[in-house]
Amino acid sequence: MTDARQPADDPDSPRAGEHVSRRGLFAMGAGGLVVGALAGVGGTMAAHALEPDDNGEAVDASVSYPFYGTGHQSGVQTEPQRHCVYMTFDVDPGTTTSDLQTLFARWSAGIAQLMAGRPVGVVQPSRASAVAQDTGEAADLEPNALTVTLGLGPALFDDRFGLAAKKPKLLAELPALPSDNLEESLTGGDLSLQACAEDPQVAYHAIRDLARIGRGTVSTRWTVMGFGRASAGAGQSTPRNLMGFKDGTRNIRSDEEFEKFVWLGDDEEWMSGGTYQVARKIQMDIEIWDADRIGDQQDVFGRTKSVGAPLTGTAEFDTPKFTEVRHGEHVIPQNAHIALAAHENNGGIKILRRSYNYTDGINQYGQLDAGLLFITYQNDPDHFARLQKKLGSYDRLNEYISHIGSAVFAIPPAPEPGHYLAEKLFS
Amino acid sequence: MQPSNRRLSAGAATAAALVSAALLLTGCASDGQSAAKQTSSGASHVKIMLTNDGSDDACALDHTSAPAGPITFTVDNKSATGISEVELQSDQRILGEKENLAPGLKPVSFTLTLDGGKYTVYCPGGKNENIAFTVTGKATAPKTGSVQTLLKQGSKEYAGYVDDQIAGMVTGVAALKTAVDSGDIDAAKKAYGQARPFYERIESDVEGFVIPGTKANDNAGNLDYLIDMRASNLDDSVGWHGFHAIERDLWQGGAITAGTKSLATELQKNVNTLASLAKKLNYKPEDLANGAAGLLEEVQSEKIKGEEEAFSHIDLVDFAANVEGSQQAFEYLKPGLKKIDASLTKQINTQFDKVNAMLDTYRDPAAIGGYETYTPALKARDANKLSQAVQALQDPLSRLAEKVATAQ
Repeated sequence: MTDARQPADDPDSPRAGEHVSRRGLFAMGAGGLVVGALAGVGGTMAAHALEPDDNGEAVDASVSYPFYGTGHQSGVQTEPQRHCVYMTFDVDPGTTTSDLQTLFARWSAGIAQLMAGRPVGVVQPSRASAVAQDTGEAADLEPNALTVTLGLGPALFDDRFGLAAKKPKLLAELPALPSDNLEESLTGGDLSLQACAEDPQVAYHAIRDLARIGRGTVSTRWTVMGFGRASAGAGQSTPRNLMGFKDGTRNIRSDEEFEKFVWLGDDEEWMSGGTYQVARKIQMDIEIWDADRIGDQQDVFGRTKSVGAPLTGTAEFDTPKFTEVRHGEHVIPQNAHIALAAHENNGGIKILRRSYNYTDGINQYGQLDAGLLFITYQNDPDHFARLQKKLGSYDRLNEYISHIGSAVFAIPPAPEPGHYLAEKLFS
Repeated sequence: MQPSNRRLSAGAATAAALVSAALLLTGCASDGQSAAKQTSSGASHVKIMLTNDGSDDACALDHTSAPAGPITFTVDNKSATGISEVELQSDQRILGEKENLAPGLKPVSFTLTLDGGKYTVYCPGGKNENIAFTVTGKATAPKTGSVQTLLKQGSKEYAGYVDDQIAGMVTGVAALKTAVDSGDIDAAKKAYGQARPFYERIESDVEGFVIPGTKANDNAGNLDYLIDMRASNLDDSVGWHGFHAIERDLWQGGAITAGTKSLATELQKNVNTLASLAKKLNYKPEDLANGAAGLLEEVQSEKIKGEEEAFSHIDLVDFAANVEGSQQAFEYLKPGLKKIDASLTKQINTQFDKVNAMLDTYRDPAAIGGYETYTPALKARDANKLSQAVQALQDPLSRLAEKVATAQ
């Protein structure tokens, strides 16, 4: 491909300088056909009128993030894309340390290709008896802001690969948490891949082809296909989860907060610039929720449904007043979701939420099977555990949700050009 | 209708000719590099560097020619994320290659003894996929390489294996008919389990035959349909026939009726017809490779899902037979394949070992066919494990056909 994207200066934003013009291009592309049709009437006016109202939500398929030399892996601070496929893997019995190195190197090269909107090899080999390297379904699609993020689970540092001494300091299986309803088949894994993109087929293709590259070394363990981002990045408006409420209003946004709560400084040297990922598959009883009266729904969250304002305020970003009492009762109930999760009530702890809504079709009772793929990033997995210990015990939301899947992973930093993810782990 | 193996090889030959023509049109820049010099060990050294220039991946040689004799090619992927393999070819034949290349890994080498002539370094995914490489000095006449001899020998021996299985199938089905005729349902079930594996071991070689005088697209004359049709591919206009109709009577019906007996008689007749058609076939190396991969597809699409033996649930018996047939085809190719691609050979070996070790855990001498019954509960518990192990074998095995089809 000749239109390969150049690395951006700021790893976590699509090249700021070109962003606007790319959006402009998108608008022209979208309006192009209509412009032609209206040419006799006055093309300029038509094109102008058809430009989308760009409030930061327009999707620009041509956006591409760099893979190498960005310090942190992308897919963490990156503005959440609209779709995400998450998959965990187990390393196959008999795999050697050198097989694992080859896997990480092949995956890294593959991810670099995919994020640039290129195939992971030949789509249509010239010899008829050859098998294609890339599966092809994303061949005509643009990069779509794809990011793929690799995570390493606690079990990888057992005695299989001689990596025990390099285990990230805070990486350990999560403790059993209140209200856990975990299913074995949706829990754990030696490795994780999170592929997020503006186009679901681009995200799925990435996971599919990386799983294919890994075959013989790793086997799939569990996966969730997330649609519709349920968390906001710095420049984005707050989206809604499947309960219809805005999710992540008080999410981490600023670089300072990322430094303080997400990125690792003095962990193992090879993990410097990394972070920890917690993934939870949270099933929602959405039909039961839908039958709940609005007053109760708002008390469960502690916010209004439409605006997303705290019950003590009028606008979304008003600071909640957890101590405010009216008629002898707390305006935001003390066991409302936002009250229990708030940093003010948790010794200042904040975690980055990067969640997606999911659906698995219809369950055995004929009800819609859906929920939230809750992915968090933090510089100490215990921050998640502390919050969930409290939420699992007291959250009014527990009546409508169930944590059915769980895993924790160390997220190594991004590689420099010519190197691969977690390469330093083996030196 | 021709057996599938013949059709496949014809297709491959056409494709090779097309590729050949395409390559002649592709000019290959040589950049005027000097010839590699022989070192004291007698081998010349050529470096193949894979780099990305900021937009494209490219493949470059430090020398584009070398004197005839041993030549060591060292492949170093510095930054070309889109190139994961490199081959040295002569006239479309792969002489040597390295796979699993990626930035950050150590350079890897392969050494070949080459006669004078023109060669191509093939870098799939690179901006310049084909780079001309010249070996100077004695050019010998094209010879029938030992690899070809080994592959051909293996294919010939494999034909003997197929004939043995056909003979076993004829005997096994005769025993099944005798047991059915006797009315002893337990003996019939046992004979069914013993007869099945022969067909399953060579399924990919014997499908595609029709009763002489019938049309290829008519199931009433399609021997594979008449012998091995299942509920899932039932053609209502032709109805139930063959192994699985008998299976249905024995397990679901729980009785041997006059209908069961006529099904057994018909099955024996069709199996004997198939045996007369399929014996003494000739196979090309790529037929073995495609057959080996095809049998694993059968495992994935039918056995692991429990669709093949829907009434008796002896799917693991068929599973083991498919794997055995696949491995036999591979084993007959192995002496030649080792010379073409030792690492792929090893990889396939390892994965066969894993699948076989896993299958061993299901052995049960008391069960019909010698393997545990593939009950819905067992399927729910282990289908994922079985499928992933087979897939891990299927992926390297699917690359076999190209290797042997292009071997020198």
